[in-house]
Amino acid sequence: MNPDDSTAVFFQSVSKSFGAKEVLHEVSFNVAAGEALCILGRSGTGKSVTLKLIIALLRPDAGKIWIEQDEITTLKTEELSRVRRKIGFLFQDAALFDSFTLYENLSLPLARLTSKSQEEIDSMVVKVLREVGLAADKKTMPSQLSGGMRKRAGLARALVLEPKILLADEPVSGLDRITASEIDELLLQQKTERQTTLIMVTHDVHGARRVGDRFVVFDHGHLVAYGTAAEVESSDNETARQLISLSS
Amino acid sequence: MANRNFLIGMFVLIGLTLFTIGIFLIGKRHGAFARHVEFYTEFKDLSGLTKGTKVKVAGMDAGQVAEVGVPDSPLSRFRIKLQITERLRGLVRTDSVATIATEGVVGGSYLLVGAGSPQAKAAAPLSTLPSREPVDMSKLLEHGLVLLKDADINVNKVGAKVDETLDGVETTVGNANDLVVGLKQGRGPAGMLLKDETVASNIRQSVTNAKEATAALHKASGRVDDMAADIQSRGVTKKVDETITSARDAAANIKDSSKQVHQTVAAATKPDKHGVDAGTNVRETLSNVNVASANMTEDTEALKHNFLFRGYFNHRGYYSLTNLSPENYRKDRLFTNPENKRAWLSAKELFIREGNSEVLSSEGKKQLDAAIYKFGESVFDRPIVIEGYSNGADPANDPADALSSSWRRAILIRLYLQNRFPLYPTNLGIVAMKNSPPNGLGYSEWDGICLVFLRPQK
Amino acid sequence: MTNAIEFVGDVSVFSLRAIADLFRPPFEAEQFWIQLAEIGSRSVPLIVASGFALGAVMTLHTRSTLVTFGATAEIPTVQSLGFFIEIGPLVAGLLMAGRVGSGIGAVLANLRVTEQIDAIESLSIDSFKFLVVPRVLACVIALPLLTLIMDFSGLVAGFVAEYAASGISWHLYIERAFASLDWANFVPPTLKTAVFGFIIGAVSSYFGYTTSEGAQGVGKAATNSVVLCSLLIIVSDVVLVQCIAVAFPRTAL
Repeated sequence: MNPDDSTAVFFQSVSKSFGAKEVLHEVSFNVAAGEALCILGRSGTGKSVTLKLIIALLRPDAGKIWIEQDEITTLKTEELSRVRRKIGFLFQDAALFDSFTLYENLSLPLARLTSKSQEEIDSMVVKVLREVGLAADKKTMPSQLSGGMRKRAGLARALVLEPKILLADEPVSGLDRITASEIDELLLQQKTERQTTLIMVTHDVHGARRVGDRFVVFDHGHLVAYGTAAEVESSDNETARQLISLSS
Repeated sequence: MANRNFLIGMFVLIGLTLFTIGIFLIGKRHGAFARHVEFYTEFKDLSGLTKGTKVKVAGMDAGQVAEVGVPDSPLSRFRIKLQITERLRGLVRTDSVATIATEGVVGGSYLLVGAGSPQAKAAAPLSTLPSREPVDMSKLLEHGLVLLKDADINVNKVGAKVDETLDGVETTVGNANDLVVGLKQGRGPAGMLLKDETVASNIRQSVTNAKEATAALHKASGRVDDMAADIQSRGVTKKVDETITSARDAAANIKDSSKQVHQTVAAATKPDKHGVDAGTNVRETLSNVNVASANMTEDTEALKHNFLFRGYFNHRGYYSLTNLSPENYRKDRLFTNPENKRAWLSAKELFIREGNSEVLSSEGKKQLDAAIYKFGESVFDRPIVIEGYSNGADPANDPADALSSSWRRAILIRLYLQNRFPLYPTNLGIVAMKNSPPNGLGYSEWDGICLVFLRPQK
Repeated sequence: MTNAIEFVGDVSVFSLRAIADLFRPPFEAEQFWIQLAEIGSRSVPLIVASGFALGAVMTLHTRSTLVTFGATAEIPTVQSLGFFIEIGPLVAGLLMAGRVGSGIGAVLANLRVTEQIDAIESLSIDSFKFLVVPRVLACVIALPLLTLIMDFSGLVAGFVAEYAASGISWHLYIERAFASLDWANFVPPTLKTAVFGFIIGAVSSYFGYTTSEGAQGVGKAATNSVVLCSLLIIVSDVVLVQCIAVAFPRTAL
């Protein structure tokens, strides 16, 4: 079956193993355009792998993945590049290129993946940096930034291409509550103002419930719960209920 | 950014510059950037010469061997094409001889083209230069050994023959020189037989030769000892060491053998009751001895020119005082140096007539003693050359034969000095000068002798 | 055993990919210049200092030996032959294996561990061409140049040491140093370090690029790079020396 126009990401019976260890087992879910999906689960249950499958850093062993109308598991490099152009990725530790300045980190994707002029690139970088509150740190090296600033800088890089889909791998991990809520706010802003589809892996239930529209819960490579917060709370899976519960 | 590019630029520039320098310096050594003239030469034996081997003209690096043509039959020779830089072309003449030389004991071989003579025409490009076959060091030594062995055998043969013939001779004579003097004076039966001047001269010559050969060998073997010790201490290959040892052994053999000859000759020429037979045998024997000792002299001569010993003789300034040819003698600065001490003694003072020949007068002996005394004590370890002069006025001889007369006089004086003073035989040289002293010594003509006391070499 | 063979296969495929990608656009020229500055230019002080020290030491040693043979005239020749044929190339290779090999191994491993390689890939930039190829190419180009610098540093130091001992003139020293040097003793030994450079670039990139462990993997990649690079340089040197001898049978030493 092909997904309809409103679908941003669609997983169909996706399986992925590393050696003998199966991290995803026939996982299927779909994310509608403009929706925010939170992926919950214990450590090592394939949450980050799911994100990497979406952006085709990893290829599934079985199953199909659609990004909008493109089935990416069979795409060639050049076509993949076109698909990736729609996706921004905020890595767990921001993964800023540490030999580049903040400005270079942001201008690299624009220079590589668009045909914008140097002035346009400049203005876009400045605009995005202002959005995340780092306008003054253009020339700073990533190693000189604090944890929260790095996350924001990583978010800025993910956003600089104005992606339709934003993937965020534990965007608030290792941050204090206040900084974490700032990041959540920025993500929410993307969703509401730009109608960006948001797929977020997180352990932070507060942030997840604030940002997420729907939730998937992984346990031992299996999708054990899928739905709104209320649906997951009433799931018959113990782990899912624990993970979504605010008291945890 | 600018800083980074500067670093890269410097790095690349330095690297490329060094590469260019290296290429250039090696190219210079190969003469890759110089203009060349090509010649040919031919050798029977390549002695390790290969394509690319250095070529030197008169000792200067001139180019390299461009090609080695291999002969198709043993009759023809290796044809070698050599490149010589344009600059040295003027030295290469039609009479320039190509040889294969080695760079010292441990060095490789190179092709040496000698500078030609100015009279000869410049060699045309691509012409074939005359060559001299290389002398292999090991072959040279081998050759020397064969010669030494031959001499050894000869000497033994002579010795055996003399022994056999003169079995009955029992009394010994201490010194052959005395005997010769005796013979000269016609004493004893053998003397009677040998009174004719030629034979007496032969005997003297033989004895002198034998003695000199012995002394030269002695000295040479001493030198070989030194060198062997020296080379051993430097740990040069065992092979050289062994070769030197065998050369030394052979030299020692000769020394012994020639001593034997010396004694035998002495015994043989002693006045004796066996009379005529012995005398005849003696004549025959003496001629054999002459040949043998001549062989020995040649051998020592060969040794002297061997590269191992050459340095020593070059340092001393002369190879031997034994066979000074008047012609070379006059040219040699060593002998004609005005700083040499000289004692000019006239024939009138030295010699008196006795029968047909001249002998030293007692007045002459005094004059000689005084001359030696005047030279001082160092005379005993410095070389002395006795220049014999004669104006040919000796009535006993062909008046024109000034040469033989001056030669005889020198020999007489040497005999006297040898018996009178503890002089090392190799340090006494004689040379026949007829009646004309070398230039620049203040005498245009002389009749008598001149003792030359050579000044020390540096 | 199977693992070892698989490892050899992995490294070989990785190395061949580096060669293949070198000729496939797009070319990461900017990255190449950055790496050439890092690997080449910034190694010059180390190379010059080592070449100097080694050159002086070698002259002191050869002098004491050759002087007993009375062959002191051969000292410049021994020095230049030693440096141009073997010491310069090999020591430059080993020094670079230490400095650059560990650097590349650690940097790439760190990029992998901190997901920077994923980040690059997520931007549809070929991380292999972006990170590995420029490093390998920079090593291949820098090594012969560094070797030349090492060679001449050693020669200059040799001259200084010899000048102190015997007062030899620079002109005579250079004359003798190059008297016995042939093309085959200079060009092939210098160019063979391009192979050393390739080994350093490819092997250390392999360890860094393919690391799958955390912070520990960074250190391990650095160590493994140095060890395997050094070993392969020495082994390949044996082979290369033989190849040069076969290619230049007459003049190679």
